[in-house]
Amino acid sequence: MKLERRLTQPWWLSVAVPVGSLVVAFALMGVVLALTGHSAWETYRKIFEAGFTGNGAMSATLISATPILFTGLAAAAAFRMQLFNIGAEGQLYLGAIGASWIALQLGDRDVTSTPVFAVAMCVAAAVLGALWASIPGVLRAFARTNEIITSLMLNYVAGLLLTYLIFDSSSYWRDTSTLQARSFPQGKPMPEASNWPTFGSSVVVPLGFLIGILVALGLWVLYTRMRFGFEVGVIADSPRAARYAGMRTRRKILSVMALSGAIAGIGGASQIGDFTYTLDGSPTGLQAAAFGYTGIVVAALARYNPFAVCLVAVLIGGLLNAGYTLQGPDFPSGLVGVMQGIILFCALGGELLLRYRLRITRVRAGKPVAEASL
Amino acid sequence: MIVLAQAVLYGTPLLYAALGELLAERSGVLNLGVEGMMLFGAAIGFWITQRVEGSTPVVLFLAVVASAIAGAAMAAIHAFLVITLRANQIVSGLALTIFAGGLGLSAYVGTELGLADLPATHQFRDLDVLGLGDLPLVGPIVFDQSALVYASWGLTLLVALYLGRTRWGLNVRAVGEAPASADVMGINVTLYRYVHVLVGGAFAGVAGACYSLSITAGWTSGDTLVGGAGWIAIALVIFAFWRAELCLAGAYLFGALSALPFALQARDVEVAPEFLYALPYVMTIVVLVLVSTGLAKRRLGAPAALGVPYVREER
Amino acid sequence: MTGITKRFPGVVANDGVNFEAASGEVHALLGENGAGKTTLSNILTGLYRQDEGEIELWGERIRFHSPRDALDAGICMVHQHFRLVEPFSVAENVVLGDHRGEGRRVILRTSATERRVDELSQRYGLAVNPKSKIWQLSIGEQQRVEILKALYRDARVLIMDEPTAVLTPQEAEKLFDTLRTMAGEGKTVIFISHKLHEVKAVADRVTVLRGGKTVTTVDAAPATPRSLASLMVGREIDVAPPLEQARQLADVRTLEVDGLTVLGDRGETAVNDVSFAIREGEIVGVAGVAGNGQRELAEALSGMRDIRAGSVRVAGRPLRGGDPREAIRAGVAHVPEDRLGTGLAPSLSVTSNVVIKTYRSRSLSHGPLLALRRMRETAVGIIGRYDVKTPGPGTPVRNLSGGNLQKLVLGREFANDPLVLVVAQPTRGLDVGAIETVHSYLRDAAAKGVAILLMSEDLDEIRALADRILVIYEGEIVGELHAGAASVEEIGLLMAGGARE
Repeated sequence: MKLERRLTQPWWLSVAVPVGSLVVAFALMGVVLALTGHSAWETYRKIFEAGFTGNGAMSATLISATPILFTGLAAAAAFRMQLFNIGAEGQLYLGAIGASWIALQLGDRDVTSTPVFAVAMCVAAAVLGALWASIPGVLRAFARTNEIITSLMLNYVAGLLLTYLIFDSSSYWRDTSTLQARSFPQGKPMPEASNWPTFGSSVVVPLGFLIGILVALGLWVLYTRMRFGFEVGVIADSPRAARYAGMRTRRKILSVMALSGAIAGIGGASQIGDFTYTLDGSPTGLQAAAFGYTGIVVAALARYNPFAVCLVAVLIGGLLNAGYTLQGPDFPSGLVGVMQGIILFCALGGELLLRYRLRITRVRAGKPVAEASL
Repeated sequence: MIVLAQAVLYGTPLLYAALGELLAERSGVLNLGVEGMMLFGAAIGFWITQRVEGSTPVVLFLAVVASAIAGAAMAAIHAFLVITLRANQIVSGLALTIFAGGLGLSAYVGTELGLADLPATHQFRDLDVLGLGDLPLVGPIVFDQSALVYASWGLTLLVALYLGRTRWGLNVRAVGEAPASADVMGINVTLYRYVHVLVGGAFAGVAGACYSLSITAGWTSGDTLVGGAGWIAIALVIFAFWRAELCLAGAYLFGALSALPFALQARDVEVAPEFLYALPYVMTIVVLVLVSTGLAKRRLGAPAALGVPYVREER
Repeated sequence: MTGITKRFPGVVANDGVNFEAASGEVHALLGENGAGKTTLSNILTGLYRQDEGEIELWGERIRFHSPRDALDAGICMVHQHFRLVEPFSVAENVVLGDHRGEGRRVILRTSATERRVDELSQRYGLAVNPKSKIWQLSIGEQQRVEILKALYRDARVLIMDEPTAVLTPQEAEKLFDTLRTMAGEGKTVIFISHKLHEVKAVADRVTVLRGGKTVTTVDAAPATPRSLASLMVGREIDVAPPLEQARQLADVRTLEVDGLTVLGDRGETAVNDVSFAIREGEIVGVAGVAGNGQRELAEALSGMRDIRAGSVRVAGRPLRGGDPREAIRAGVAHVPEDRLGTGLAPSLSVTSNVVIKTYRSRSLSHGPLLALRRMRETAVGIIGRYDVKTPGPGTPVRNLSGGNLQKLVLGREFANDPLVLVVAQPTRGLDVGAIETVHSYLRDAAAKGVAILLMSEDLDEIRALADRILVIYEGEIVGELHAGAASVEEIGLLMAGGARE
């Protein structure tokens, strides 16, 4: 039995492998459930219902899916150039900080137009997210410092910043208007007009989700049809060849990191504008949701394709949503994390089949008897 | 001096986890799943103390062994994916954290076994060694620590000697720096990597047990039990320039930093705790930048083959 | 070794090869690049497992499952690309993985190893300091460490894979002495090479491989370079390149290099105050052992490396250093020695690689948007014109053979109408047919007026193509000769730092 590197990759394999790993993952999880005395079928049915088909389930799923759509796109944008930006988490926080700041500022100036708010919030969020991502970007581009650890560390710094703004300071973001707000720290409520609209009635689609789809489209065009994407492809494959060909590698590293950070930042704006309507600095709020890390899972499963990210974000969002809804004595806790993990493990394992071919030869006395390859 | 005592207390799990990650990284494998392994180890360890009857030392010993096995089991998944199946090490490590972490397997196991809110039946207590625990300054630090702490000191020494002086240590360092060369010299790269990743996982499991059997002496669902220490441990390995003895110093330093805010508050110093909490992370970034620039790389840097899967028969 | 067969995806590297060597002899394994010599030796050292065939050692049939088995059996190989651990010391590298003797101890005593290394280096004439770290040593010294590793393990069979590629002729002589000493002690030395005069100089017997098959085994003494060459290639060829008449060249200086100083990777001076000029249509060959500054010189000219001092002018206009885009714009084309690592992006398609330098031009992109169809057409044009054998323009470039890769890179570079072509090791690893094709492309380009700087370790190639030969040693030009007037001995002496007579 040998592993041989593949010469070409049949296109159907790129779809078959992720789908196959999903199937295997569900099967494995089913076994685990059965072993611990739960009915796999029942559990899956409940998940499916709570996530997609039940009353209001799809809308709730979109709420979970929107942030990870952004962080998934952010991860995909960076990972495609072998830049492992783990910092989407922190970049999202910074985006939220920026968006809430501009919303409050505009509110102070009595602006009432929602489109203005939405645009301003996205811009401010993108700028702050991009800046935050530029730190590991600069360090990687000019000091050759590994971006994995730097972006990871900055996640914690960003989280601490968030906590600081709401809990341990009298910052602009903090609500000090009532006695209760002063004793139990919380963020200022956003002006009414800054609340982002939603679309649809039976399935409620947040504006953020639509923005996310647009971003996905833009990312796809950028990476497959534009010079930017061509350069990204060359640098990802061989930085030496890129330099040889006259490409500005360091500048590209910086721009891709900034782009990734900007996308994650907009995710933060969406959190403020679509859902929370305030800057939530508590350890149990934004920081506990792990949007950034889940986004990486989404991106990996989607094999860094922007459209696939949209799809996978909805799927994982459904899973997460079902997890929240079904939480209770009947439904095993921790199931969501376990499932995500298994799905990802299977996807990672399946990845192997895409790059290598398995060849099974039976050798007898030095001569191959039978050969099969997959 | 409460700070120093806290430093050791909070630093010990960091030390265990960092030593484990150090071994894995020295063999060339990056394992970002430390947080998950620690949480799982914590849960399993606590469960043993609840289920097994016996004298405290025996039960605690068994609990530690069990958490080590738990951590190693988690690490085995990562090892298989990354070494045999040559998957992306970063994604796999993150997947492991999610799988085993506070919203995953450790929560699953914890609730299935009903571990939440149970009072601790056995836990590690400070041993007053030779009765010297009352010596001024030195006493509480050196002589009045729990068995877990003493064991961690021994382990640090062991790992340092192992890497620096033994032939297996030389081999594993070669595997991490130049796996192709090591392979040609007859060293089994795959075996060394598996062993070191699994042992790394075992250490992480014990690190988790530090929380459920000593610091918090209980179990709670979610991430708060370990509170991000796994990520700090990863940073710590870099901060310690991949050397075991520096891991010890760094672990206590980082531990002290987490205790500092309270100490300062007690002295009415007005510093927002967040700044101090952020220091370990910022310092790690600084160290990493220093290590990455040019000449320092050869003497102080990461194992050259870190993060890269090793493939032998490739054309 | 009998009936050895080894297949890789897309190629049969060894096809029923028979090979035997005796103790106390130096046995050369001769063949062109790609004939299967390295594969065969990798099988012998346990790195690969043969698909078919048997190996016998001292009459016993053996089966290796890993490199360790081969090492235990006393078979050691010194590879072309050293298998050393850079941050470790010489002693540590020598004792690495040794599970007998000193290495058997759990706690290592480096001092004992160092003493033994000293002993061995005295005995065999391989001077090196056991305490130095590998990254501090020169390439020649590193090779000595590799040999010491084998001697330390009491190797009975030593395989040297193209060892002289990185040595001066004088260092090579010393190596041959060492090898003869070892053979004299009863060891078996297998010497892999494609260089005829070396094989004649050091070997007792020669086995010739061609296209993965054994051709024959002959005694070295009665063989001539010509007879060996024809065995290697399968037909009569002329070994000594003909002395060409000096070509008529225009007196236009396309490339002028003045006082060029360039720093290497470690901050050392790699190119030191180098000056020369190349006229329109002239081919200037740079002869020198690898590692004497050729790579840095090529990189400086193509903009991949900063210029510390001095100037470079292309067609009279000064070239700003350190910027590949500037160099490309000035008309400097570069065919690097590392084709698949630097000159091409291996996983990307032929099309992408063809336009890798020109995608920004107005014909291939509309502003930020790429003109994909136009790019494809360009690629198809080059594939046709330069006879690049590939399933299609969308094929990943790593699937192409060495010869086709080189044709592709040359085709791409020529398509931009360069004024200057800097080409390094153009025919390394190519079979004779491809070599002739590449040489013809170079001559055609020169005929059209391109100024060519040819860097090659193959003296025959330089003498065949160049109008003038520069010899580079330790970053300086130590000699300038007209091709017709230069002898191999003279060039070799200059390459080793000897003064001109």
